Amino acid sequence: MAFPAQVEALMQKGWLWQGQVAPPQQTKQQFISSGWPELDEQLGGGWLQGSINELQIQQPFIGELALLIPVLQRVQAATLWLNPPQQPYAPGLSYQQVDLAQQVVVQEADPKLALWAAEQALLSDSVQLLLMWHPHLSAVQVRRLQQAAHAQQKLAFVITPWQSSEEARAYVNRLQLSRTEQLQVRLLKRRFGWPLPPFPCSVDKLLPRRRRIV
Amino acid sequence: MNAWLYLHFPHLLLDYQQALQPPEAAVVPTALIQTRARQQQVVQANLAALQQGIRLGMADVLASTMCPQLQLRPYQEAQEHRVLTQLAQVLYQDIGHLVLTPPHGLICEVRSMVQLHRGFHGVVQRLHQRLQQWPLRYLLSSGYSPLAAQLLGWAGCPVVSEHATEVKQALWRLPIECSGLPAEQIAKLRDVGLVTVGALLQRPRAELGERFGGALLHYLAALTGELIPPQSPYHPPDRFDEKIELVAEAQSWPQVMFPLKRLLQQVEGFLESHQWSTRGLLIRAHHRDGSTTQIKVRLARPTWQQGELLQLSQLHLARQQLAQPVLALSVRVLQPEPRQAVATSLIAQPATKTDELTGLIGRLQARLGEHKVQQLHTAMDWRPEYQGQLQPWQATAGQPQVTQRMPRLRRPYWLLAQAQPILRQQWQLQWGPERIVSGWWQADTIQRDYYIAVDRQYRQGWIYHCSDGWFLHGWFS
Repeated sequence: MAFPAQVEALMQKGWLWQGQVAPPQQTKQQFISSGWPELDEQLGGGWLQGSINELQIQQPFIGELALLIPVLQRVQAATLWLNPPQQPYAPGLSYQQVDLAQQVVVQEADPKLALWAAEQALLSDSVQLLLMWHPHLSAVQVRRLQQAAHAQQKLAFVITPWQSSEEARAYVNRLQLSRTEQLQVRLLKRRFGWPLPPFPCSVDKLLPRRRRIV
Repeated sequence: MNAWLYLHFPHLLLDYQQALQPPEAAVVPTALIQTRARQQQVVQANLAALQQGIRLGMADVLASTMCPQLQLRPYQEAQEHRVLTQLAQVLYQDIGHLVLTPPHGLICEVRSMVQLHRGFHGVVQRLHQRLQQWPLRYLLSSGYSPLAAQLLGWAGCPVVSEHATEVKQALWRLPIECSGLPAEQIAKLRDVGLVTVGALLQRPRAELGERFGGALLHYLAALTGELIPPQSPYHPPDRFDEKIELVAEAQSWPQVMFPLKRLLQQVEGFLESHQWSTRGLLIRAHHRDGSTTQIKVRLARPTWQQGELLQLSQLHLARQQLAQPVLALSVRVLQPEPRQAVATSLIAQPATKTDELTGLIGRLQARLGEHKVQQLHTAMDWRPEYQGQLQPWQATAGQPQVTQRMPRLRRPYWLLAQAQPILRQQWQLQWGPERIVSGWWQADTIQRDYYIAVDRQYRQGWIYHCSDGWFLHGWFS
C-alpha cells in the first residue's frame, strides 16, 4: 500500500506509529510464549514479562485453564492459585507435566486479605506466576498489582466474568473468551495494537479430543 | 592477670520494667521502695528521679515530698531474680562461666574466653555490645579474684584493666566500710585503726587470725584469690517458658509489642545458646481473672531470628481479638530442634528459592490461617477424590511424588469438591466408560462409570454414572 509522500516522510523518521508492530525498543523486552502461535502473533510475541493480564470468561471452565497450561509448564518457580473456583486436580495437571510441588493454592474469602496475599506473592522472589480469580477488581487495585508485577517482573492473570463496563484498567492485555465449537479469543486491549474481533484459538489440543459416539 | 569480671546492675528491676514500656515512660520519675529497718526506703530510682534529687536509702515520705510526681512501686525480689536469670541467658552467648550473685550482680570468668574474643579487651567489648541491646545501667569491674571485682563494683569505683596492679591500687584505697565484711567486724577493725582495705592487707596474716578469728582469714584468702569459694555456675535451661508482668494493663495488642519484643529477644538468645531453631511459639496473655488467651504461632520453616519471629507473631496476633485487658505475657518455645546445615551446592539457586517460598507461605499462613494455604497432594488410590487432594501446606519441600507410580491417565484439571447431580440428557457423551471400582476396604466404596461429556455450552465435563444416578465430578478446561 502506498502512502502519501508526507506520511512516508513521517514513517521514515519513525514518528508514525502504525499499531501493528511492536516498537523496536520494546522488542527486546522479554516475552513468554503463550504456547499458542495464533495468540502470540497478536500479542506481539507472547505474554509480557512483568505484566498483569485479564481473562474475561463467558462462563467458567470453557477452556481458560488449557489456555494457561503452556505457561504453567514453562514457569520454573512457584505458582500461586488464588481463589480458584474448584479444586485444581493434581492427576490432571501432572498429566500435562505441571510441577505439582510448585503449586500453592490459597482460598481466602475476604477480598482485602486476598489482595494482600496476591501482592505478597508478587513481591516474593519465589513466586513467578499468579493466577487469581476475582469477580471485579477496581482500577486502583489493578494498578497496584500491575506496579508490583512490573517491578518484580512477574506474570499475573486475573480470571473474571465478562465485565459489562468499558472502564479503563491498567491491564497490559485484556482478553474476552467465549466458546462455540472452539475457544474464541477477543482482544479488548493489547500493548502493541488495536483491539481485535474474536478469533479461534486451538486450546482444544490440550483437552480430550471431541468426537461423537454412536 | 585479672581473670574475673563483675557486672553490677544497681537498678536492675526498675530498668528492666522501663525497658518494657515505650521510651516516653522513662521521663516520669519512678522509684522502687522496700521496707528496711521499719521504714520504707528507696532502693532503686530511674534517671529522672535521680535528677530531681532522690537518693537511694531515702525514706519514701521524704522522697515523695521532694518530688510530688514521683511514682513509687514496691520492690519485688523474686521478680528481680527472674530478670537476672534472663540476663544470664543472654550473656551466656558470650561467656561460658557465669555465676549469679543475687540480688543484682553477675560474675564472669574471663581467662577461658580470652582466646575466643581476642584478648581481655575483646571480652569487655563483647559484653558492652551485648548489653547495649538492654537499656540497663550497669558497672563493669575487673579483679584478680571474684571478690575483688565485686568490691570495686559495689563501691561504685570500677576498674577495667588487664593488669592486677591497677586493681590492687584501687582496692587498697577502699574504706573498710566497703569491704563487704559484717558490720560488727568492721567496727572492730576500725577501732584498731584499720580504716582502709589496704591497711588490712598490709598486716601479717597470722596476727590478724589470732585477733579476729578464722573467718577473716577466709575472707582475705578469697580477696587475694588464693582460695575461690565454691560457685554454682549458670547453666541455660533446656526449655524456654518466660513470663513478663506488665507494669500497666494493656488493652490492645500494640501495647504489648514492647514486652513481646523483649521476650523474643530472649528466645533468640535461648535458641542461640543451644544452637537450636524452633517450629512454633505459644504466646499467652494472662488476664485478671486468671484466664489466658493463647495464640499458637506455627512456623513454616524452623527459625531462631527474633525479627522473623516478631513479624509472624504480629500477623498471628492481628487475627485474634483481645477480649480482656492483659496483665502479663508469656512465651513458650514449642518444638525446638537442632539446626540443620543447609546443603550448600555449587548451584545454590533452587535451594534459596524453596527457602523463600516457605518464608512466603509462613507469612500467608500467619495472616490468613493455616488451612487456607494448600498444596496439591497425590495418593496411590484409584478413587478420584483420594488420588488428588488439596491439603494444608507442610514444609516438606522436595518430597517425592507418588504419581510416577500411578499410570498416567487423562484426568480433568478441576475436581469438584462435591459431585453434582446432573440431567443426563443435557450432556453428550464423548468418551467412555471407564469403570472405577475401589475402596471396598473402607466404608467409602465406589462403583462408577466415568465418561467425558460435553454440555450445551460446549464445555467438557467428567461425569459418572452410578447406582444413584448421573453426576458431574470434574471439568476439562
